[in-house]
Amino acid sequence: MLSFFQGRNETPRLGTLRQLALFSTLSRLEIRVVDALLHERRYLKGEIIFDEGEEGQALHVVIAGKVVICRQGDPVGGRVAEIDAGVAFGELALLENAPRALQARADEDCVLASLSRGDLESLLVTHAVIASKILLQLARQLGRQLRDRSAAAEPRPL
Amino acid sequence: MKKTPRIAAPRASRYLASGPLVWVATMTCTTLLLLALKQALWLVVPFLLAIILYYALFPTVRYVALKGVDRETAAAIVSGLSLLLVSLALVPTLPWLAAQAVSGQEALFRYLAGGRLLVERSLLMLESQFGFLKDLDFHAEMSRRMQDFGGSYVKEHLADVLLATAAWLPAMLLAPFLAFFFLRDGRRFLKYLAEAVPNAYFERTLYMIDRVDATARAYFQGLLKLTMIDTFCLALGLAAIGMPSAFALGLMAAVLAWVPFVGSVIGCVIVVLVAATDFPESPWVVYAAIGLFLFVRLLDDFVFMPLTVGRSLHMHPLPTVLLIFLGGAVAGIPGLILVLPLAGVVMVVAGTIGGIVNDPRLGARHTFAKKLRGQRITADLQP
Repeated sequence: MLSFFQGRNETPRLGTLRQLALFSTLSRLEIRVVDALLHERRYLKGEIIFDEGEEGQALHVVIAGKVVICRQGDPVGGRVAEIDAGVAFGELALLENAPRALQARADEDCVLASLSRGDLESLLVTHAVIASKILLQLARQLGRQLRDRSAAAEPRPL
Repeated sequence: MKKTPRIAAPRASRYLASGPLVWVATMTCTTLLLLALKQALWLVVPFLLAIILYYALFPTVRYVALKGVDRETAAAIVSGLSLLLVSLALVPTLPWLAAQAVSGQEALFRYLAGGRLLVERSLLMLESQFGFLKDLDFHAEMSRRMQDFGGSYVKEHLADVLLATAAWLPAMLLAPFLAFFFLRDGRRFLKYLAEAVPNAYFERTLYMIDRVDATARAYFQGLLKLTMIDTFCLALGLAAIGMPSAFALGLMAAVLAWVPFVGSVIGCVIVVLVAATDFPESPWVVYAAIGLFLFVRLLDDFVFMPLTVGRSLHMHPLPTVLLIFLGGAVAGIPGLILVLPLAGVVMVVAGTIGGIVNDPRLGARHTFAKKLRGQRITADLQP
């Protein structure tokens, strides 16, 4: 009976969120639940998103633009990773409750969707399926990053 | 109620500044807020009830939302059903309530007379035990004062009290209305609040909002749990000693206990008056009721409260007691009820602001972002 009350319109924003890797496995209804929790932030090129050593209170997903992860104050020489649209970052500080390991800066004008720690925690209680889908996607992303870095670090035999 | 799990072990606290300055700011802001609230008491009381209703209904709204219903509809369904349930529960009790309203004054004087009889008997017993009380004519003096109180003071002020209660009723109808909008739009409001903050302070604001919500939720849900536990213990105890309407009396006393110190005493006095009137020949029922209240009070202070409300505020008992006195002195009974949750929220906000002020890097980042925006705006205006 409750399905009668479920909205049926798919807004462009929901379509955009669905294309992000972190939310790609969520159903239409689940996306709507997550959308209500996300904060959209806009950063100009060069603007700092977070500093090294800060306590992380949110994980961010790049909706548009590019973010660079670098050593504090060295966005050119100390560049560690580039985060393109659709990819999440800042999740490690949230998962480990550790300070941010590196600085994040907008490499281009960008739009981010941010999910706070409190909301992720409450998702675990209220929408365990959604939380587990998001966390599984995060685990996959971390695995991929680990594999990429291992591959880059080890010289392959000719 | 499920406990929210932590994504990672202990919650970061570096964001919250602490120290004498933050404490002074907390006390000052709490006092100023109470003074301001005192001016709008007609709004504060329904607002407080609405917050309690919000936290009582919030888990159900969350459960309905879990089934895929959007938040607005879930809030409407739960609020509507709750209203319907309350109405259905009230319909059978309306004739009884009407009868009580008609005979209310008579019942009040009957219970006051019962209480006076109990006090007189106790005084006579004391006089027989202690000669100096008889010399002072203690019993006669107290009887005269109680006669004055029961005979003139209550009669003179009863009409005023009833009129004031009637004047408050329309304001009280605001409570369910406000609770519905809290349930429906609370999250959206918090989102707007976070959106209004510059990027440099965004994560701090998220932290503050999360802590404020967690503090208020823990306090009010703890209060509701405490009320249920108190009602159960008191109803069980009162039924065991043979009191009539044990559940209703237990519930009333538990709700009155929302007012720190004073509420418990008033609840106990009401039950004692009922016991003294209904069992005039069995004073042991009165003593058992007093003993029960003392026992439940001790259980509250040492067991139930630390497990429920006490976990929410993380305050030292000394400032807690000071704040309660401050709340009572500044804003009376609403001040007594409001002061602790208000101070808990103010403490988080003051701590967060203190943390931001003490972090010059955040200010520098904000200035840098403003400069970037300024450059962008004026990029095509250069000569």
